[in-house]
Amino acid sequence: MKTHTCNPRLRHPRALLACIPLLLLVSSAAFGGDGKVSEGQPAPTFSLPALDGGKPISLESHRGEVVYLDFWASWCPPCVTSLPLLDELRTEFGDRGFRVVAVNVDRDADKARAFLAKRPVGYRSASDPDGALPERFGLSTMPTSYLIDRDGVVRHVHPGFRKSDIDGLRAQIRDLTAAPPAKRAR
Amino acid sequence: MRRTTAWICVLACALAFASGCAEVKPWERETLARRDMAWDPDPLASQFRSHIHWSKEGSLPGGEAGGGGCGCN
Repeated sequence: MKTHTCNPRLRHPRALLACIPLLLLVSSAAFGGDGKVSEGQPAPTFSLPALDGGKPISLESHRGEVVYLDFWASWCPPCVTSLPLLDELRTEFGDRGFRVVAVNVDRDADKARAFLAKRPVGYRSASDPDGALPERFGLSTMPTSYLIDRDGVVRHVHPGFRKSDIDGLRAQIRDLTAAPPAKRAR
Repeated sequence: MRRTTAWICVLACALAFASGCAEVKPWERETLARRDMAWDPDPLASQFRSHIHWSKEGSLPGGEAGGGGCGCN
């Protein structure tokens, strides 16, 4: 006489099939990036080595200034468009407390240096070859930028970049640089 | 019992294959961003080749509407 010691539910393939959606749910939760930084949230602070080998670059040191945090890479075509335009914005609003903080995510930092040697910009770039910071920000595309106000709060998330985006960004930067820090105003 | 074991084996295999799936994060797409990795690395050249191909076929390109009406394909 046969004796079964296994769970009787497992005898039915349908019960096993019912597990598949559950497994899919679990795997999608594992793959999904829940830690996305969005508008209205405080920007995670960081300190990263600079691409030029100089002083490390940190977001904290720019508190009280309007920061455009730009994640870029030498292999990303829209970055070729965005870098010179961001440099123009930096020149335009620099005296109103606007700064561009760039984070390069090239695995090989030399490629980023070669890129900047060809297309020099007036702001410094941090280097994050392991992608730890974009992981924390939950980037969904390259490039992605974050416009951060004087209190360190993300005011605008800008995925991708087109030349025509610059006018909208200029207007937002103008508004943000005109506003005093909320914490100080209170 | 055998069927259950077979199902468990199938599921285990499926899971084992699924574990090979890796998400490529946007900042890790350096290789994928290369021009030669594009589905159509040179749209102009492929359009040119397609034109020659369909001219030789002596018909309108498949999946495309007629041209400007000159009938010259």
